[in-house]
Amino acid sequence: MKNRNIYLLLLPGVIFLTIFMVIPILLTIGSTFINEGSFSFDGYLHYFQDKYFIGILLTTLKVSLITTFICILLGFPVAYYISKVGTRTKVLLLLLSIFPLLTSSVVRSFSWMIIIGKNGVLNKLLLNIGLINEPLNILYTPTAIIIGLVHLFLPLIIITLVGVMENMDEDLLKAAESLGASRLGVFAKVVLPLSMPGLVIGSILVFVGSFTAYTTPALLGGKQRVISTFLYQNATTLNDWHTAAIVATIMIVVTLLVTITMNQIAYKINPKG
Amino acid sequence: MALFTLENISVAYNKQNILQDFNLEIEEGKFISLLGPSGCGKTTTLRLIAGFLESNNGKFLYKGKDYTKVPVNKRNFGFVFQNYALFPHLTIFDNVAFGLRLRKASKSEIEKKVASVLEIVNLSGFEKRYPKELSGGQRQRVAIARALVIEPDLLLFDEPLSNLDANLRENMRIEIRRIQQELGITTVYVSHDQEECFAISDQVAIMNKGIIEQLSDPATIYNYPKTKFVADFIGFKNFIDFEDQKIHENEIELTKSGFTFIVQKNKANTSTDGKTGAIRPDNIVIRPLKESVTAGKNELPGKVKIRTYLGRSYQFIVETPIGDFTINQELLVPYQVGEEVILEFPANNMVLVK
Repeated sequence: MKNRNIYLLLLPGVIFLTIFMVIPILLTIGSTFINEGSFSFDGYLHYFQDKYFIGILLTTLKVSLITTFICILLGFPVAYYISKVGTRTKVLLLLLSIFPLLTSSVVRSFSWMIIIGKNGVLNKLLLNIGLINEPLNILYTPTAIIIGLVHLFLPLIIITLVGVMENMDEDLLKAAESLGASRLGVFAKVVLPLSMPGLVIGSILVFVGSFTAYTTPALLGGKQRVISTFLYQNATTLNDWHTAAIVATIMIVVTLLVTITMNQIAYKINPKG
Repeated sequence: MALFTLENISVAYNKQNILQDFNLEIEEGKFISLLGPSGCGKTTTLRLIAGFLESNNGKFLYKGKDYTKVPVNKRNFGFVFQNYALFPHLTIFDNVAFGLRLRKASKSEIEKKVASVLEIVNLSGFEKRYPKELSGGQRQRVAIARALVIEPDLLLFDEPLSNLDANLRENMRIEIRRIQQELGITTVYVSHDQEECFAISDQVAIMNKGIIEQLSDPATIYNYPKTKFVADFIGFKNFIDFEDQKIHENEIELTKSGFTFIVQKNKANTSTDGKTGAIRPDNIVIRPLKESVTAGKNELPGKVKIRTYLGRSYQFIVETPIGDFTINQELLVPYQVGEEVILEFPANNMVLVK
């Protein structure tokens, strides 16, 4: 095959994405600027003055950021360990860690209900030990959503981090040590910066996933709305597709903004990543 | 007094002994090379000195203090890796400054020391570059600068030149030697390249299967190997296992299958337990049979079996009553395969090894 024709390989994918993704998204975004037949920002102005909507947006942001943060904290040591073990153990551990992704999110959410519900396993245990006097109210709060989302998205960060850590030259860590770095120093000055590419991709996946998640917040959040359940409510229950399109556009913009910010932070820590 | 000592060190990996009862002493300011084929334990020894490996038993003494359990980051030894191991996310300046920052040096001190060490390795002006933007030789010089700047008590090299091409290797080994001499840092250098070790070191330790076969200055090793392994490793391709020996005042008389050989006494041959004669392919003289009717002392009759053209010389493999010998000789008119010849083994070129 001639090299200059190699871009033809992209064609099927590009055509598919253009018809089924790019055009619909552009149409959706375009429709939000049309109000009663003329161009206007009214739809957006309305929503950014609506305290209820802003509240939902901020809660969703908060939940997604906390989820991402917890996933990083939990995922880093696990990924580091997995990247150091032998191939056979590695495959087994990776399989185990992606297990949450292989189960249905409905089943997963109902399991969490049983565990963190008012009369759930967790409360019974804590009451019996005597750590608490009355049951904790976790289910149907943002905390419940965070627990569910961390469970769901932790594998993403583990997989992306194992990817970069596997390729990290063991001698770099030895070099840092021989120059006088403690274990913590090696981590902060070498492992962390070199993990940045994987960390950024993992974090973006977790954040975007959490920000747009539907099933988990719908089942574990109860009355607590997040932006995707709000969108669903507008579109199907209230049949207000115009509002739904505006909410969708806001979701896209916020997701892009956070993604860009994360990239910037990563660039500061490791300019060569 | 020795600067540091390895005492009865044993290291096992996967139940296989890599080093057993290993002993080594190194004097201050010396450049010592560990040389041997892969798997001989030279890298293990180096990593043990660095602290990357723990010994199963034995002691590592540094200036008389027990360093066996001192962690890597408290040893203050500089280590130069085969693959450079430069931090890809840091500039050359930051790579070199890495150790100084950990030692909480002041900003002006860091700038001064980094500048001066980059000058030593001839890389001034490269401070703002990243490792990726440098050639292999430049990267290795950065790695050396990074190890030097912490003013290490010991400098350790793990095959630092094996990723470089031949010309660069020669330049770099001269550089390394110059820097080591200038700063007088005690250095341990690991390589499998014989010429490199000989060119660079005060002392060479030839290692085989976890033990040191011989530790001497390069010229002694090159001319007077003590064991068959060392002799073979440094190019004595021909060996004769003698049956009997008589020791005279200045020479040793040996016999094999009725042929008599005289070997001059020298540094290596004073011990009488070496019964194997070793000689380099370059040192055997090959003559046509007609010149002498019968083979005398230090001579063997033979027949050319294989002839190979090496450019500078011809290599002959000659079949004799006591085995095949390899001979290199510069000749305009070479011997033909099947031709009858006489091989002469000069008494001062044969050594006896264990």
